[in-house]
Amino acid sequence: MQIVAILAPLIVTATIVLTIGAVAFTRSHRIMAGLSSTGLVLALLGLIPASITVPIQVTPLYIVDGFGLFYMALILIAALISAILAYAYFETQSDYRAEFYILLLCATLGALSLVVCSHLASLFIGIELVSVPLYGMVAYAYRDSVSLESGLKYMILSGVASAFFLFGMALMFAASGSLTFTHIGQNPGGSQLLLLGVGMLVVGLAFKLSIAPFHLWTPDVYQGAPGPASTFLATVSKVAIFAALLRFFQTSPVAQNAWLHVLIIALAFISMLVGNLLALRQNNLKRLLGYSSIAHLGYILTAIAAGGPLAATAVGVYFAVYILTSLGAFGVVSVVSSPFTGTEASDLSNYRGLFRHQPTLAVTLAVMMISLAGIPITFGFIGKFYALLVAVNSGLWWLVAALIIGSAMGLYYYLRVTFILFGAYEGDAQKSLTESSSRTAIMALSLLAALVIALGIYPTPLIDLVNVAGIAVPA
Amino acid sequence: MSALFLIIVFPVLGALALSFFPRMSYNSARIIGAGSVGLSALTMIWLMVAWFSAGGGAYVQTLWNWVDVAQFHIPLALRLDGLSLTMIGVVAGVGFLIHLFATWYMVHDLEGAPGMARFFAYMNLFIAAMLILVLASNLLVLYLGWEGVGLCSYLLVGYYFEKEANAWAAFKAFLMTRIGDVSLGIGLFILFINFGTLNIHTLLQQAPQVWGSGAPIATLTALLILGGAVGKSAQLPLQTWLIDAMAGPTPVSALIHAATMVTAGVYLIARLHGLFIIAPIALEIVGIVGGITLLIAGFAAIAQTDIKRVIAYSTMSQIGYMFLALGVGAWHAAIFHLMVHAFFKSLLFLTAGSVIIACHHEQNIFKMGGLRKQLPFDYALFWIGGGALSALPLITAGFYSKDHILSLAAVNGHVYLWLMGLLGAFVTVVYTFRMIFIVFHGERGMNAEPGRGWIIHHTPLIVLAILSTVIGAFIHQPLDGVLPSASDANSLGMEILLEVISSLVSLGGLVITAAVFLGARDALAKVVASDAGQKIHQFLFGGLGFDTLYDRLFVQPYYFVARLHRVDWIERIANIVPATALLFNDGLATTQSGQLRWYAFSIFGAASIFLIILVLG
Repeated sequence: MQIVAILAPLIVTATIVLTIGAVAFTRSHRIMAGLSSTGLVLALLGLIPASITVPIQVTPLYIVDGFGLFYMALILIAALISAILAYAYFETQSDYRAEFYILLLCATLGALSLVVCSHLASLFIGIELVSVPLYGMVAYAYRDSVSLESGLKYMILSGVASAFFLFGMALMFAASGSLTFTHIGQNPGGSQLLLLGVGMLVVGLAFKLSIAPFHLWTPDVYQGAPGPASTFLATVSKVAIFAALLRFFQTSPVAQNAWLHVLIIALAFISMLVGNLLALRQNNLKRLLGYSSIAHLGYILTAIAAGGPLAATAVGVYFAVYILTSLGAFGVVSVVSSPFTGTEASDLSNYRGLFRHQPTLAVTLAVMMISLAGIPITFGFIGKFYALLVAVNSGLWWLVAALIIGSAMGLYYYLRVTFILFGAYEGDAQKSLTESSSRTAIMALSLLAALVIALGIYPTPLIDLVNVAGIAVPA
Repeated sequence: MSALFLIIVFPVLGALALSFFPRMSYNSARIIGAGSVGLSALTMIWLMVAWFSAGGGAYVQTLWNWVDVAQFHIPLALRLDGLSLTMIGVVAGVGFLIHLFATWYMVHDLEGAPGMARFFAYMNLFIAAMLILVLASNLLVLYLGWEGVGLCSYLLVGYYFEKEANAWAAFKAFLMTRIGDVSLGIGLFILFINFGTLNIHTLLQQAPQVWGSGAPIATLTALLILGGAVGKSAQLPLQTWLIDAMAGPTPVSALIHAATMVTAGVYLIARLHGLFIIAPIALEIVGIVGGITLLIAGFAAIAQTDIKRVIAYSTMSQIGYMFLALGVGAWHAAIFHLMVHAFFKSLLFLTAGSVIIACHHEQNIFKMGGLRKQLPFDYALFWIGGGALSALPLITAGFYSKDHILSLAAVNGHVYLWLMGLLGAFVTVVYTFRMIFIVFHGERGMNAEPGRGWIIHHTPLIVLAILSTVIGAFIHQPLDGVLPSASDANSLGMEILLEVISSLVSLGGLVITAAVFLGARDALAKVVASDAGQKIHQFLFGGLGFDTLYDRLFVQPYYFVARLHRVDWIERIANIVPATALLFNDGLATTQSGQLRWYAFSIFGAASIFLIILVLG
């Protein structure tokens, strides 16, 4: 039973082993991409038998429940799209390409383990397993100094955050004598030490989630990383770490501290304002998306701060929104920049009049922008509606105000991008994206756009799914 | 009768097909455009047969629920009764004839330029919207059709949008009717608040019981609805748009600005007659509006030089007669005149279109002249149409409908309205035959080529001509039971006396006009050339100065206020918001230095504050 429950991570593990073996014999890009995609699809299918067994405790470290499986599905979809994008991105480059998929699979495995961890040790292992391959992925275009620089920045700052995290763990263990979520803070003694520990843990996680004021690295790293790596960083790592944070907050007694609650509200407030303000005059699409992701994490934190029965639904729905739209938006950037060598085409001027020569991509990006802005008939509206609903229900008026002001600013810069897409096209003819690798990616992206619209009109199935995927509290 | 919805479906399908394939050939567009309305007309005939064989009454077809929120239920339901049957007869029947003629007219008007599909797409959409308007059993559904025809009117007036004046004419038509629509909308809100429903039938039943006769709220509501009606029907004070609306192609003028849309106001008031009966003051105002408009428009028509503008003013004037009829409680007569007017006015417009094409797109009547010999067919049609318009006794349909209105006005004790109507009848004869005599008599002005084509050119004109004669007056309108019957207490002798008086007026007018325009045109020219004559002519030519008046009264003050607020303090306050946002943006952007040591330090700094608050709090 336990084996069935963790079928998906096991399949990903097997795929990693297989790809490492395969790379010894062939460096064919097609085979590597195909192998890892197949593994990810199989893992996605592996979630179906696992759903019968939940909830189930697998060793003291992990607990597999509906919540975990829902986020596993999101992660696997995001990883699959990233792999497809990577295939399109690296196809025209003659460098070593195979290792990217191995790194991607390792990070995916870390993300999968994060969403089901119930123990600080497994939480730490998961975070490191996501982060370490990501250093490689961010710096993968090492001939481009920008990529290398952002990889180094991310590694060093990640190290700082991990130090905070580890120190926090140690303090908590010293105070409560246990690393299991449900045991931390159970005994009343040593509360100052314990609070310090929890605070450091939150700081470490907030850094990884690029929540303001721990966000400064985000735009630099997003901008420098190759398109598929940015996509992965913005989606998979964010979801996984956030899910772990949510589980920790819902199950650990230590998280019920009143001041911690206030600080979470403050973080949400600052993130929403800072993210949107910084995006206002941004002319680089990847940086813009980076800033916008800070704001969106703020919206999600709002739901956590609100609490209550609706909060889990709101977070689940919002994350589904965030994943689909970020994949789409970063995906378009990744595909548009892939046929070029050297620096990526992520400046907004590169997208002027994209509609004239790449109508499908332009419409996809426009749909994603409109969804990110939260305009009705897109899925983004549903997500924002839920965030606003839980905030209003809990009477968090400061957050409601920030959310509304932030959305107003968001409208400005998202629509600005949209207008640019449909503006007059100037510039020389660009290389057409007719290779099969690009076509697969474009197809996957337009599918995402269709999904964003479809779920915007009829979101009920997804909301139902989120509602059944609850967090299990171990006895 | 379950086929009722089909009458709307055909033109909708036509409009969709024409919009999705805008580059189709002329012939495909003509076949789809006229064919879809033809199918509608066939459905209309089928419905008539079915309705009469079912013995009349009212048939309601509910298609689906349009709005269903809490207490607000709006079913998309169609209601077929005597009144709506009459109206779909006019809309689908006359509409089809005009579409048929348009297949001839537009080929000559476009001369190979693209836009045929666009023209028929708008026209079909118009027919669909107009049918929704007259078939609606609910005021909100009626409002849907009401706005739909307004949209199509805008699109078709501005059909030749390359010329800037046409685009402005379209704006004017849209905005002026919008003023009325807002008034109508407020009326609907009041009705819904008071009755909790917008179902027309229920409203008419409940209004007398709930409000009672003469209640102020009933008067207010009726006046607001009248506001909508005068906007759509180009009556005082919202009449100015109709003349500029002549910028559209001539079949459009015939269909929208003569036969159907502009009479929607008359239909609306007739449909909601129960509300007006309990608001006698409002009903009186309806009559007065009609009376004044018919005179203003009639006098303005005398001075026009553009053939379409003459007919447009006459349309305004004839709708004034319909309002007058509504005002004196002659409900049947109003709808009867509506139908007859649809026949002879579309005949006049289409024949005018035929003449315009024959004269190589010339619309100035003074440049035509002496066309009698070259265009005998059009000449005969103008006599029939003009005769009906002037209500020449006994042989024309217009005589019976107009006379009915005038005698009921006199009998119901509205002597001043009767006198206005009588004066209007005289003016009508003068402007009608002035136009005919100038265009077809006198010195030859130019070479004209008569229109050819039996089916698409001659047939619609001949059918409309037949309906404009006494034969059209024999059409029986099944309005009993829908509209209240007028009191028929007057004696036969009285009626004959009134008929003789109006016959004398129209015949006298004809003789005088003939004397002036066939005999003494030079004398007239001298009078017009005098100082006073020129001033009067200018005054009449400009539509009695309403455009200037509105410009002074509304447009200029609005510009003044707008200029005053170009740099105002409100904007300065509003500008603080983006300025603040940009200020913060600047400040935050400096934190993004790209320097690793600053990034690491910021983490330590933020974490320290975070932890201090947490531990000490």
